[in-house]
Amino acid sequence: MALNAFRITEEPYYHSIANEIALFEAAYSARMPMMLKGPTGSGKTRFVEHMAWRLGRPLVTVACHEDMTASDLVGRFLLDAGGTVWHDGPLTQAVRHGGICYLDEIVEARQDTTVVIHPLTDSRRVLPLEKRGELVTAHPDFQLVISYNPGYQSVLKDLKESTKQRFAAIEFGHPSFDAETRIVCTEAEVPEEVAARLVRIAASSRNLKGHGLREGASTRMLIHAARLVARGVALATACDIALVLPITDDADLRDAVRAAIAVAAA
Amino acid sequence: MSEHPTVPPVPFAPFERRLSAFLVALWRLRAPIRPMRPDANGMPPRRLRLTDGLIWVPDSLPGIHADQAAGLYRAALVHAGAHLRFSSPRFPVGTLKPVQVALVSLIEDARVEHLAMREYPGLLQVWRPFHVAEGGGTPNAPGLMARLARALIDPDYDDGDAWVSKGRSLFFDGRAEWETHEFSRRVGGLLGNDLGQMRLSFNPKTHVVEPAYRDDNLGLWESNVPASAEGETAYESLRTEREERDDGRPDDTSLGIEAEERAPVAEAPGCPAGEEEMAAPPALYSEWDYRIARERPNWVRVVERVPGVGDPAEVRNAATRHAAVADRLAALVRAAGVGRPQRLHRQLEGDRLDLDACIEVMVSRCRNEIPDPRIHAALQHRTRDLSALLLLDVSASTGDQVPDGIRPVLEVERDAAALFATALDRIGDRFAIHAFRSNGRNDVSYYRLKDFREAYDDAAMARLASLRPGLSTRLGAALRHGGRLLGRQSSHRRLLLVVTDGEPSDIDVADRRLLVEDTRQAVFSLAAQGIDAFGIGLDPGGRKYLTRMFGVRNSTVVDHVERLADLLPNLFLTLSR
Repeated sequence: MALNAFRITEEPYYHSIANEIALFEAAYSARMPMMLKGPTGSGKTRFVEHMAWRLGRPLVTVACHEDMTASDLVGRFLLDAGGTVWHDGPLTQAVRHGGICYLDEIVEARQDTTVVIHPLTDSRRVLPLEKRGELVTAHPDFQLVISYNPGYQSVLKDLKESTKQRFAAIEFGHPSFDAETRIVCTEAEVPEEVAARLVRIAASSRNLKGHGLREGASTRMLIHAARLVARGVALATACDIALVLPITDDADLRDAVRAAIAVAAA
Repeated sequence: MSEHPTVPPVPFAPFERRLSAFLVALWRLRAPIRPMRPDANGMPPRRLRLTDGLIWVPDSLPGIHADQAAGLYRAALVHAGAHLRFSSPRFPVGTLKPVQVALVSLIEDARVEHLAMREYPGLLQVWRPFHVAEGGGTPNAPGLMARLARALIDPDYDDGDAWVSKGRSLFFDGRAEWETHEFSRRVGGLLGNDLGQMRLSFNPKTHVVEPAYRDDNLGLWESNVPASAEGETAYESLRTEREERDDGRPDDTSLGIEAEERAPVAEAPGCPAGEEEMAAPPALYSEWDYRIARERPNWVRVVERVPGVGDPAEVRNAATRHAAVADRLAALVRAAGVGRPQRLHRQLEGDRLDLDACIEVMVSRCRNEIPDPRIHAALQHRTRDLSALLLLDVSASTGDQVPDGIRPVLEVERDAAALFATALDRIGDRFAIHAFRSNGRNDVSYYRLKDFREAYDDAAMARLASLRPGLSTRLGAALRHGGRLLGRQSSHRRLLLVVTDGEPSDIDVADRRLLVEDTRQAVFSLAAQGIDAFGIGLDPGGRKYLTRMFGVRNSTVVDHVERLADLLPNLFLTLSR
């Protein structure tokens, strides 16, 4: 199998928040393109890994960036001694061999790049390789998943309407208190009491979202802090280096978050 | 915390930003903080005040050591935040005696603090250090009240006094009722009664809430008692406090900034355009007359005048008033990626090879074709070469209230201009903000509020704040003059944005079509000079004439005037892309 390296063999831990697993399974059975929306660190990537494992499909992940060209996705001719050889890009590999192709942070890619996915995401399910003069029909197992952080969107950086409307979407937010406590507990192997405290602390930094902070502390950050606590770092210090310092360079905001952590953690 | 009169006061300003962020972090409270100035007698206010969701903070709290100031301001702001979060609605004064009013306030203070501490137990350490009242000496009402305040928050404090102990047990036994603010009313009333029966004198005129971090509690009480209510009313203490700390304004309602904004603009100095100083010799412009299909040369006289000077804080506060918009704009400016390097492919020279181009070269060589020599890629810093002029209509109609708002259109324009200026200042684009109005063809006034080469500083903000509505809208002449000034800027792109609230008109023009057609001609001639003009109309019914003047693609109508502040900078970023 061409995509063996992309298979996930061990179950990635994922704590279901609502019915997103069932929804995704239903969408996959219809091979419907999916969009995962939500702030950074809310579990989008983990979810798609978990689903790939659950469905037993290889997962090809592409981190999109603004310098990415269409050939970075579909492939290009490379040189060898005899001349040029075609080299499939990650998207083409997934299309040909039947994997889930996950385009992470799709808005970062330029709009002219993202249009290459259009023929794949409607009833045609084909990928034209223009340079090679080939039309690849998608493998029956192929599915396209993109992630999208609505917080970063702006007039200047947004998905084209014609791209957006090809997808069904699942929204990820911050999990409920209990769910997030359990996630932090399991991921960082800390006592529940420590996890609960960290989740309470996170609430104060999430309150500042849009009021100086672009994002509040994510579940990922809480897990980082909890892992430090599990390794013997004091809670206040762990919060400082895992939750406060990375999130802002603004001294006043830092002071405010620290003060809020102090009153919440006491 | 004894107050030493000799200690130099510590100003609040350096703490404001972090403390307001702290309140947002705790309760998502975005309470506007306003400075509270000394009263008419020059007496500095001694406590904070809360009115209708605003937090009034003295410029400085006298008699506080510098090392305590940070803690005191923090305790005070969090206490105010606890009130905003948990205190509502206001208590009616009714038949309460002053001492009862003071005690209901005290119990309410303790109640909101305990509710806040349920969520954030660490707040105890924020507040407790300021509770230092102790027993001893002759009992007096203020002393006992300070001790009760301490007994209600400090679990380690043991007060021998029977009244204080009673208050403490009443308060903690009623734990289950803390959620309702009627609790404070009941317990405070009882304790006030007891204190009255102890025949301890209580002077509402000199009473100051203790400890120093607590606000004066005026915001807890309904203040609809007629000003004529004299003598021994229960409202006495409230009234006296107000007299002591009034900041020179006629009545309590004028404290709110909303009230300031609601003030009729007609009272503001009208528009003595003729009396204003000229800033430059008058300029003459032609005007298009569609009836004869030609320009009337030297028809309109545009006079640049020196704008007035207002309070720059009014303009600077625009960002606070539209906090959400300002934050979104800041993000937008970042996202615009100004100054971010751009990767250039297929260049003749560059700092690295362009892989795709190299492969094509090899392919061409195999086919014996002449290869494309542009095989390099380079990083280039995108430079924006752009000048923008924002032209504001300040005719009399901008004094009208926004249809579903409480502010005149001009204030919305001004706030929008302020946010626009902040955004452009951050991007680093060259921009100017000018305003105009007209009084017949011989007198079109033109104000340069912020010019291209000037910084967007306090002086510019003061000029922006000085704008008052008046007279008419002779748009074409203003466009021609603005275009001439903008035309002198040596930029690759020149953008002229006009904000107008109605159809062009003037006192000496009866034909409504005339000035519309003239503006249309002015826009044409600007386009010929390489200036892009864009019209933003605030008149919901104005789509037709606006389209006539600026064209469909270069005009927009803001249906909801309050959205202008959001729309204007966004529009600019889209246009200047």
